[in-house]
Amino acid sequence: MKREAVKGNQIMAVAAAIAGWLVPGLGHLLLRRWSKAAVYFLCVGGLASAGLAMRGGVFGAGAADLFDRLGFFADLGAGIFYFLAHQIQMAGPDVAHATGDYGTRLFAAAGMLNLLTVLEAYDIGRGGEAA
Amino acid sequence: MNFLFGSLTHFQAMLFFAVVVSITFAFLSKRGLTERVKYSMWAFLAFLLVAIGIGWLMYPFSQ
Repeated sequence: MKREAVKGNQIMAVAAAIAGWLVPGLGHLLLRRWSKAAVYFLCVGGLASAGLAMRGGVFGAGAADLFDRLGFFADLGAGIFYFLAHQIQMAGPDVAHATGDYGTRLFAAAGMLNLLTVLEAYDIGRGGEAA
Repeated sequence: MNFLFGSLTHFQAMLFFAVVVSITFAFLSKRGLTERVKYSMWAFLAFLLVAIGIGWLMYPFSQ
């Protein structure tokens, strides 16, 4: 597979990281990593959408304890899926049932996974090892 | 999406999680299609075995 070289650039790296956080895969798209962009969007988006479809809970900014705060940061990692969670999940969360509880974990996993892809996009933008 | 994911069992949800995370890890850590396919299958099986193993270890506590 032919890989296009990315000239290291701090501004590009930060822009790719922010774009990748907001929309999973967008950072890699800006860096011309087409297959990675598509896979990350589908995987993170699929995981986040599944979590919401299973009526998982989404943690808000006003968390009461440390675990809720960690959950908030994990959920926030999903970028646009976090901000649109209430629009996507019309029926609201239902964590009283096991399926809703699994959904909460899937959504948090999507956020954490996206943060890993953000770090990679930043590294590629800088012309680092992943480039 | 609700009709697809609304009534998943714990095991089915875990399988879905394992597939998606394995593929993402493969793209994050490996280069080339063959390497990625091999790694994602290995990671998927590892997720599966660890989950079944932990479930088996916890089974006596549910009685």
